[in-house]
Amino acid sequence: MSGWPRARAAAWLATAAILCALPFLATRFATYLAMRVMMLGIFALGYNLLLGRTGLLSFGHGAFYAAGAYGLGLVALHVSPHPLLGLAAAVAAAALLALPVGWFSVRSSEVYFAMLTLAFGMMFFALVWNARDLTGGDDGLIGVMRAPVDLGLFRLPIAKDPQLYFLVLLCFAGSVWLVHRVRASPYGLVLAGIRENAVRVEFAGIDVRRYRLGVFVLSAALAGLAGGLEVLLESGARPFMAHWTHSAEPILVSLLGGLHSLTGPLVGSLLFVAMRELIQRVTEEWMLVFGVVLLVIIMGFRGGVVGSLEQLLRGRRARREEA
Amino acid sequence: MPAILEVRGLSNFFGNVCTARDLTLDFEEGVLTSLIGPNGAGKSTLVNLVTGHLPVQQGRIRFQGRDVTRLPVHRRVRLGMGRSFQIANVFPGLTVLQNVLIPALALAGRTARPWARVSREASARRDAEEVLERVGLTAEREAAASALSHGDRRLLEVGVALASRPRLLFLDEPTAGMNPVERTRLLASIRTLAQEGRATFVLVEHDMDVVFALSRRVVVLHRGELLCDGPPERVRGDPRVREVYLGDEVAEPAEAGAAP
Repeated sequence: MSGWPRARAAAWLATAAILCALPFLATRFATYLAMRVMMLGIFALGYNLLLGRTGLLSFGHGAFYAAGAYGLGLVALHVSPHPLLGLAAAVAAAALLALPVGWFSVRSSEVYFAMLTLAFGMMFFALVWNARDLTGGDDGLIGVMRAPVDLGLFRLPIAKDPQLYFLVLLCFAGSVWLVHRVRASPYGLVLAGIRENAVRVEFAGIDVRRYRLGVFVLSAALAGLAGGLEVLLESGARPFMAHWTHSAEPILVSLLGGLHSLTGPLVGSLLFVAMRELIQRVTEEWMLVFGVVLLVIIMGFRGGVVGSLEQLLRGRRARREEA
Repeated sequence: MPAILEVRGLSNFFGNVCTARDLTLDFEEGVLTSLIGPNGAGKSTLVNLVTGHLPVQQGRIRFQGRDVTRLPVHRRVRLGMGRSFQIANVFPGLTVLQNVLIPALALAGRTARPWARVSREASARRDAEEVLERVGLTAEREAAASALSHGDRRLLEVGVALASRPRLLFLDEPTAGMNPVERTRLLASIRTLAQEGRATFVLVEHDMDVVFALSRRVVVLHRGELLCDGPPERVRGDPRVREVYLGDEVAEPAEAGAAP
């Protein structure tokens, strides 16, 4: 894609413009869905730093999403309802949980890493489910209010969806920028190196475990941010956020959109939410239909939607240059 | 000359199979040494043990006077050890330049910065470009490593190892599968680097022409044991070595007429 930076910049600008204008133009339901897309986008973006960039498949990120959700919920209910404080708590809770989980998990690689994260994730789900006094058990945390964002000089209300939308958009833009910077950094290059050949990275004099742990915590922090935002949107936290089936969501989204680009998980999130909405109108068995779509993508379009499009464009450009 | 690497009583077993038996030897600074021996002699095992790729079961290793027996790989590399692998071991999905950038950035201690930009790491990029020039891959810098020919990939492998600027560099069969042009180019750059005193090279080699042309010292291993150790001429004439190789290449040049 590096060959046409101008087209690329234009695409980003157009997307930004649409996202800014959306709540003024679209219906409330579309605004709501856009928020869901952005939350899933944050979740998948962070997750894909781990999967697409570093080559680590985690089955436990639902736990970090939930840690963020319950972190924000508990702070809002017991300490202060300030949304920014809550979001900070969400990020911190997820990162703090990821530190010990990652410390144990990154020692192993591949299947063992995946299984360890799955085991930790299931433990955390059981904990959330059973610690009724703290988490509300199967009811979840309910009644989290959307207090205004108090910035000292003025307060910004987020009680209405179009108002909350801009907070979500801000977090989303920040996450995209963060992940973009990490991908372009020496740190990000080393992560790609770990994906390609961890032994060779060690023989470059780099402590692979520390880098794996670092990106694990970073991806968990973004999952926590997404979880916190969902609590603001839905006014509560559900224990199934921690369930391993929820951990699979960013994997599916990344596969759908494409593992090896920044835009892959974002496009994947959009498609995922849109498809769920559309298919559920026709049939209850949305997972069945989605499974078929995923099958086609994995069998026929390995790079996901974004990867395949890139290939198509590159091929066309090459042919044009030849002609 | 002081020993850059001291190996003392090093043994290694895979189950009942012994791949290193009580090996004791020193590697001197600036002396290009070749490790030879028939298949399964324990050459790669020795390199793996010394560089930390395999955990040491028995024995001690000192590098530049410091005990490194229990140090993890990345710490040994930071102290100045480097290696290339027998099977080309590069970053296939990254570009050629990125392949050498990773060790160059690591050498400068600039990798742990998620906020920085690779594109602005001018000094590491210069180092990386210089390495590519040395191994003759400047033209391929933007190509994916996976798209290189086999020989070029081997050159890149050596380049990746060089980019860490090791004081002691193990090259495990660096010329295997190269065509003559690539081989000459690689050997020339090894010779230059050795003469400049940039690194002490230890080659694991099968090709006896390479061994006798480059090395000042040859160490022969057989079934995990040290069979013979000395300057090339002496090793070539050693009857035990000839026996192990059973009239193989070693004997050829000197003994062609003298065979019974």
